[in-house]
Amino acid sequence: MGSEQNSFGDPQELFSAWVKTVGDFWQGAFKAWSPEAATQSPGENKNKFKSANFQGNLSAALNAFQAAAAGLNDPAAMQSLFKGAGAMPELLARLAQNSLGSFAQMQQKLFESAGRIGKSAEAYKFEDLDQNIFRSWGEIYEKEFKQFLKVPQLGLTRLYQEKGNLALDKFMVFQTALAEFSRLLALPVTRSFNVLQAELGELADKGELPEDSKVYYNMWVKILEGHYMTLFQSPEYISSLGQTLSAMAEFAQARDDLVADFLAVLPIPRQKEVDELYEEIYRLKKRIKTLEKKS
Amino acid sequence: MSRSKIPVDLILSKLAEEADKAQERAQKASDVLLDDLDTDLATTPYEVVYQEDRVKLKHYLPITETRYKTPLLVVYALINRETMLDLQPSRSVVETLLQQGIDLYMIDWGYPTRKDQFLTIDDHVNGYIGTMVDHIRQQQGVDKINLMGICMGGTFCVIYSALHPDKVKNLVTTVTPTNFDTDKGLLHIWMKGVDADRLVDAYANISGDVMNFGFLLLNPARLMLDKYVGFFEHMDNKKFVENFVRMEKWIFDSPDLPGETFRQFIKDFYQKNLLIQNKLEVGGNRVDLKNVTMPLINFYGKFDHLVPPEACELLTGRVGSRDTTDVCLDTGHIGIYVSSKCQREFAPRIAKWLLERDAPSVRKAPKKTAARKKTGARKKTGARKKAPKKKPKKTQSKS
Repeated sequence: MGSEQNSFGDPQELFSAWVKTVGDFWQGAFKAWSPEAATQSPGENKNKFKSANFQGNLSAALNAFQAAAAGLNDPAAMQSLFKGAGAMPELLARLAQNSLGSFAQMQQKLFESAGRIGKSAEAYKFEDLDQNIFRSWGEIYEKEFKQFLKVPQLGLTRLYQEKGNLALDKFMVFQTALAEFSRLLALPVTRSFNVLQAELGELADKGELPEDSKVYYNMWVKILEGHYMTLFQSPEYISSLGQTLSAMAEFAQARDDLVADFLAVLPIPRQKEVDELYEEIYRLKKRIKTLEKKS
Repeated sequence: MSRSKIPVDLILSKLAEEADKAQERAQKASDVLLDDLDTDLATTPYEVVYQEDRVKLKHYLPITETRYKTPLLVVYALINRETMLDLQPSRSVVETLLQQGIDLYMIDWGYPTRKDQFLTIDDHVNGYIGTMVDHIRQQQGVDKINLMGICMGGTFCVIYSALHPDKVKNLVTTVTPTNFDTDKGLLHIWMKGVDADRLVDAYANISGDVMNFGFLLLNPARLMLDKYVGFFEHMDNKKFVENFVRMEKWIFDSPDLPGETFRQFIKDFYQKNLLIQNKLEVGGNRVDLKNVTMPLINFYGKFDHLVPPEACELLTGRVGSRDTTDVCLDTGHIGIYVSSKCQREFAPRIAKWLLERDAPSVRKAPKKTAARKKTGARKKTGARKKAPKKKPKKTQSKS
């Protein structure tokens, strides 16, 4: 460091020389550009450039710079400036530290949150993966992911962003419900094959295996039908059916709200407006009928 | 431990035999499928004699002398279409009733659109049905008409008869749900958990396709798989293919259901079971089944998976009429109208029952050409006439 300081000289001297050079350069340039300005001293320009144009403003700025530079050439002033400048990095560092700290804290929370993902669904256990995977995903989504879509939106477009997030959330919920519902619907198929296999095993042991393939098919369809009947009356299926229908309806509503905003810029009526009109017509027709009956 | 003998050779030879048959069938089937197939539904000639909005009143052209003094109005459900009652010649409830000499009308609900979403049960019962009944009464110069309801249409007929007993001479209900507090039918179980408000708020009307998918889910093994396996096994048979396609056309011809009607039907009927408890309100009036004082015959299917017997059989015991008959047929929800066996048991029995309660009056058939589907709709409102109050016949029979 010391050698560098020697080769480049004292920073205060260097700064002073740079300020002077810059001031002289611009003064020279300005003189060449505007002979009028060359005659003015820094103190004189205060009142002369009130009717400012670009040239005048530039000239004023240069004069001000020169005045400041002249002031800075005073060693005491320079020392004071450098003392202040020495404090700058410290201030910047502190500012940066605070900002980064907040950012890191947020990041840490996010990571913690991400680390928690899956923990909330431990009760279901992933051992029985095929049975619980959709339900577990639903739990994880509800507890861990959904919150990010609910982060308050700001600014001019906040309402649209909020609607977008809501539609995305409803879509995820619907997909999860639909996946669980589909899984339930597929269960009887796999189970009926297992039962059929067992029944065929028994028949084989007895030497009574049917020769006609239609008999196998009929056996399977009957088993399948039985499994479906059992499934359809189970609380799990009824609950899943209700959830899927509700989730589908909620997604449709959120999607329509979002689409309505895009359609609003087009010269066509929105569904809501048409529905309001339909309702009005319906009520008017009803009133007319009542009046007709009374008359 | 001795290992059992599996007749692999026999199974394989049978498979080979079946493969040959399938190939032969496929060749014939291509001829059948490419042939000119007769798959038209609802070919019995009729006129549209009244129309309000999308709802039409069909009047079937008589094919024999009218033997009944009182005309019959058939009210179909809002789900699927009334064409099921006239699926094909020789498998047609409409045709059978006409052959018996009944002056037959039928409501065609049409295809509700989004503008119909606000229509309630009151609008259907007191509105459309009421206007149609009045129109027939005026056109025929009668005080009362006979009313026959199919499924949900039957429920509407029960409500109408309770609210306007002075306009209904005899009531025929077929596979009509009136008691919804049962766990025998899957629909009754499922609908208890359905959030009707949410669905209606989101979709306005309930899509016919969505409802159809729900009906297929009632028995996917049979309705989505076995049925088509059966089709492939018989697709070399032209008659079978024609009948099958007709049925497919009917099943998947599903109008949407007006949202407010769906909302009320699910909440007041499936979830609260208000009708059978005399707690239902329609158009501001309480529906008291004791007001159903006219003769009532109530048909239902023993193997009906949509409207099980438990949902139908309470009605006759709750109405005010003492001339009631329950008829439980060994069939399902649709079989009651389309199966060959029921063609002999169902419509002829209705005709006989109505005739017994209708003063014999031979009317000459109006001279009308048997043009197909005349649509000269004219809009009229029928004048109301006070019906004479008669004491109902006090006999009750159960079969």
